[in-house]
Amino acid sequence: MKLRLSPQTLQVLDAFLQVPKDWIYGYDISRNTGLKSGTLYPILMRLAERKLLETSWEMAEVGRPPRHMYRLTPEGMRFAKEHHLQPPTRRLARVAFDGMDI
Amino acid sequence: MSVTRRLALRLLGVAVRHSSSESQEWARAMLSELDFIESDWAALFWALGSARAIFKYSLPRQLRAWLGKRSSQEEGPMLKLIRRNAAGTLSGIGIAVGVLVAAFGLVRGLLVIFPASTLKGVESAEMLALIVLPETIFVVAAVALWRKRRPMAVGLVLSAVILVAHVVVHLTTH
Repeated sequence: MKLRLSPQTLQVLDAFLQVPKDWIYGYDISRNTGLKSGTLYPILMRLAERKLLETSWEMAEVGRPPRHMYRLTPEGMRFAKEHHLQPPTRRLARVAFDGMDI
Repeated sequence: MSVTRRLALRLLGVAVRHSSSESQEWARAMLSELDFIESDWAALFWALGSARAIFKYSLPRQLRAWLGKRSSQEEGPMLKLIRRNAAGTLSGIGIAVGVLVAAFGLVRGLLVIFPASTLKGVESAEMLALIVLPETIFVVAAVALWRKRRPMAVGLVLSAVILVAHVVVHLTTH
């Protein structure tokens, strides 16, 4: 099955590409991308189903629940780099800066 | 703990309990994140979004699993039974049609050999051969087959009823 590359999926992939080797928590991805949990988790589920994302449970501190963490697999990393698109705002910003003589 | 956070916890707890087995891990992941969200309102919105994601993922899978189970458990034998009954009834009707065609052929053959002008009471003999005799055969055969081959007996009874109805309609209109 082909993965639907919506702008939100690209945003999530972009968030992973910013810290390629680190494990990230769901809430942190949500804060970084501005995506709500109802949008973010279906994307993470689809990425994990296609073996582009690996998941792990972090050992918790006492009195706190364990947290689920996510990281792109090598295949996921290749996929993310292949489909990585600059968000329109950033692209525009880059064009604007490129045009300036600093 | 505030009412808002308690509501968020309860809502997500319900969603986790009703999630499909495939989404259980993800549901628990969303629930555990709730503890790390500082604002109560943000926690409630997180719970609402998560519950939506869980149900959106779980409902189609649970429905598909339930339908698959039902079709494999119930529809297989049911379809087989319906097919067997239909075949039995159709064969009963086929036998009845065969008997009627044979009776009609016999009567026509006898009339060719012995023309109607030479015989007395041809109409009553025709009636006997085409209606009374086949009807008797149908009823006797249906009674005999009722226990062992009920669908076939039903086919014969149905044919007998149709024949009687045809005769009644014929007699009333002519």
